[in-house]
Amino acid sequence: MIESLLQTLLNGAASGGVYALVALGYTLVFSVLGVINFALGALFSLGGYLTYLLMGGRISANGALPGWGLPLELPFPLALLLAAALTGLASLVVEKLAFVPLRRRNAEPLLYLITSLGAGLVVVNLLQMLMGAEGYAFPASALAGLPAAVVVAGARIRSVQVLLLAVCAAAVLALTLWLERSRGGRALRAVAEDATTARLLGINSDAMLRLAFLLSGALAGLGGGLIGVSISLPGPYVGIGYGLKGLAVLVLGGLGSVPGAIAGGLLLGLAEAMVPSGASGWRDALAFAILFAVLLVRPSGLLGRRLVEKV
Amino acid sequence: MLLDTTPATSGFSLLQRRQRGALRLSGLLAAAIGTMAIAGQQGDPSVKRLPAAGAANGALTIGAVIALTGNANLYGQDQRLGIDLARRWSLSQAPQRPLRLQLEDGGSDEATAIAAFNLLIKQGALALIGPTLSQQAFAADPIAQRRGVPVVAPSNTAKGIPQIGHFISRVSAQSSVIAPLSIAEALRRDPKVTRVAVFYAQDDAYSTAETLIFQKALAARGLPPVTIQRLQLADNDFQIPITAALQLRPQLVVISVQAVAGGNLIRQLRELGYRGQIVVGNGLNTPNIYPICQRWCDGILIAQAYSPELNTPINRTFLRLFRASNPGESPSQIAAQAWSAYQVLFEAVQRLQARGGLEGMGLGQAREALMQELLSGHYDTPLGPIHFQRDGEVVQGRFYVAQVRMDPGGRTGRFELVRNASAPASAAPAAGAATSPPVPLTAR
Repeated sequence: MIESLLQTLLNGAASGGVYALVALGYTLVFSVLGVINFALGALFSLGGYLTYLLMGGRISANGALPGWGLPLELPFPLALLLAAALTGLASLVVEKLAFVPLRRRNAEPLLYLITSLGAGLVVVNLLQMLMGAEGYAFPASALAGLPAAVVVAGARIRSVQVLLLAVCAAAVLALTLWLERSRGGRALRAVAEDATTARLLGINSDAMLRLAFLLSGALAGLGGGLIGVSISLPGPYVGIGYGLKGLAVLVLGGLGSVPGAIAGGLLLGLAEAMVPSGASGWRDALAFAILFAVLLVRPSGLLGRRLVEKV
Repeated sequence: MLLDTTPATSGFSLLQRRQRGALRLSGLLAAAIGTMAIAGQQGDPSVKRLPAAGAANGALTIGAVIALTGNANLYGQDQRLGIDLARRWSLSQAPQRPLRLQLEDGGSDEATAIAAFNLLIKQGALALIGPTLSQQAFAADPIAQRRGVPVVAPSNTAKGIPQIGHFISRVSAQSSVIAPLSIAEALRRDPKVTRVAVFYAQDDAYSTAETLIFQKALAARGLPPVTIQRLQLADNDFQIPITAALQLRPQLVVISVQAVAGGNLIRQLRELGYRGQIVVGNGLNTPNIYPICQRWCDGILIAQAYSPELNTPINRTFLRLFRASNPGESPSQIAAQAWSAYQVLFEAVQRLQARGGLEGMGLGQAREALMQELLSGHYDTPLGPIHFQRDGEVVQGRFYVAQVRMDPGGRTGRFELVRNASAPASAAPAAGAATSPPVPLTAR
């Protein structure tokens, strides 16, 4: 019984960790700009492909440059970090092309949705054109030295899932500490609280906004690389599903709330893991039913603040 | 007063004007519809006459709709190669009526396959090969049926494909004929198996059809599954369903999903400690799974409609051409079936041409004649001798059970033949039949 419960908790935590990572990416941009960056799922895919290429992976026969690969073969941890950084830079490009022109015109939030969705589609289609649509698997040597699975009090979990959970937890912890303790983190929170006041206090809100995009893209890239090594890259659309789940977690946890994103991710992961095996076909439906029920009781999400309109 | 009368007068003339306007509009609409009908009639390729065989443009178009993008692209790569090799072989046969191959990407979804079918039909294809997935065939084949265009499916194994209509046929034997063979082999290897776990993709026509066949084969041996895990086509993380299934300590796992998900599922099953036998369905019948499940693929059992070891002239030719472009590799069943789909169309066209049956014919008539010729012929293909039932279902004499053997590096491998199965004459099921008579197995 305890073994079964532990297995469920581990399964849920492993899935929920990635959802939380993506949700944090959404949260960072939402908290400073008040809009959702729908290109995040595509950046997730980009992170996975960049990690693959940095590890010495080659483009398949259906890609634009069949057989081509980067002239380097980085170990997985280094490739993962570098890919996350590069995805962060790609996120800045998305910001420049899809968000800056609208912000200058003080556009409606709905328009950001359309431009970011469009930017995401461009990224995914570019990936498809360059890499082909087939699946890519990371070499088994990516995690050489790790056992295939570990047993924790009778519950089995794949080592790559433990790694995934550990990296997600470390990333979330580092981000939380940075937001709470560092000068830059406090400046970002100040802009998120009130951009005008922050500007009056001498904080460069544009720079903070770019920082939010950079971090958000890096988190998505990190998620993509981790998922790539865990389940391979089934195609350029791999990130879209995770992007949607991350979006659900963002709403579940409470828009703009960092602890809410973490709690929401874990809750969604656990909800999926708790679906009995006989009803496995209903996993997504039941998980989203929980989301629906939570929102009925707490419309602002688990840890979201109630929006009070000032009059 | 004026205020009283003007509206009445105006109302009368307004009514007349409206009537005249409506009449004019009706006339314009009728003219537009007529023009469109005439233009449509002129644009309908089925009314056009075929060019003479010796003319510069005498080649007839065979359209192929295969998955070059999306998850099914793993099969599409093999199919493209198989069809291309068959085309090259056909050129060496000094054809009386040359064929021109037009390849279109059918994607891995229904909408793309439908669009590709429509395009090729509109451009005057004599016949079509494809689409790659059964799920796509159920959506796209009815279009070809309505337009009277022969379709030869190279890889659709779900129940009911040829029964879509009399223009639809397939060279891929139905799952009900092949799938039970691998179950029989697994139980022959370990007769003490009592606990079986089944995994399948519930949102895919092929997977749901095949799992029912697997489950019937298991039930016939008194082995109802201890768990049935329903997955989604897009799933790739299977930690949750696998740990749920492993808690029931299965001794045999039976999988019906597509290639990418299947490769991931096998890898994760092994990583999570499952050491028993794994039987997989036709979705994993491609060497393109090797890079995904890598060394974890080793040992899986799969029933096949093709073996590279078949020693016939046509299969030797197929192997020679295949190995010329892929040194050191062996062709997959999917590639052999794609070759066979092109070959049966090529041979049927040549027979018709030899009898003078295509000269002066309209494209629509030629399509009808080709379908009749296709169904009446016997073909010696890399799959072995095949012919068709009247409903377009293939009748094939030989099947095989193979085991995946991975090379030490774990990146490449091969399907190693472990058993031959000679199908009785009645092996191909009648239309609508769910299962076939048992096929005797003989050790290799």
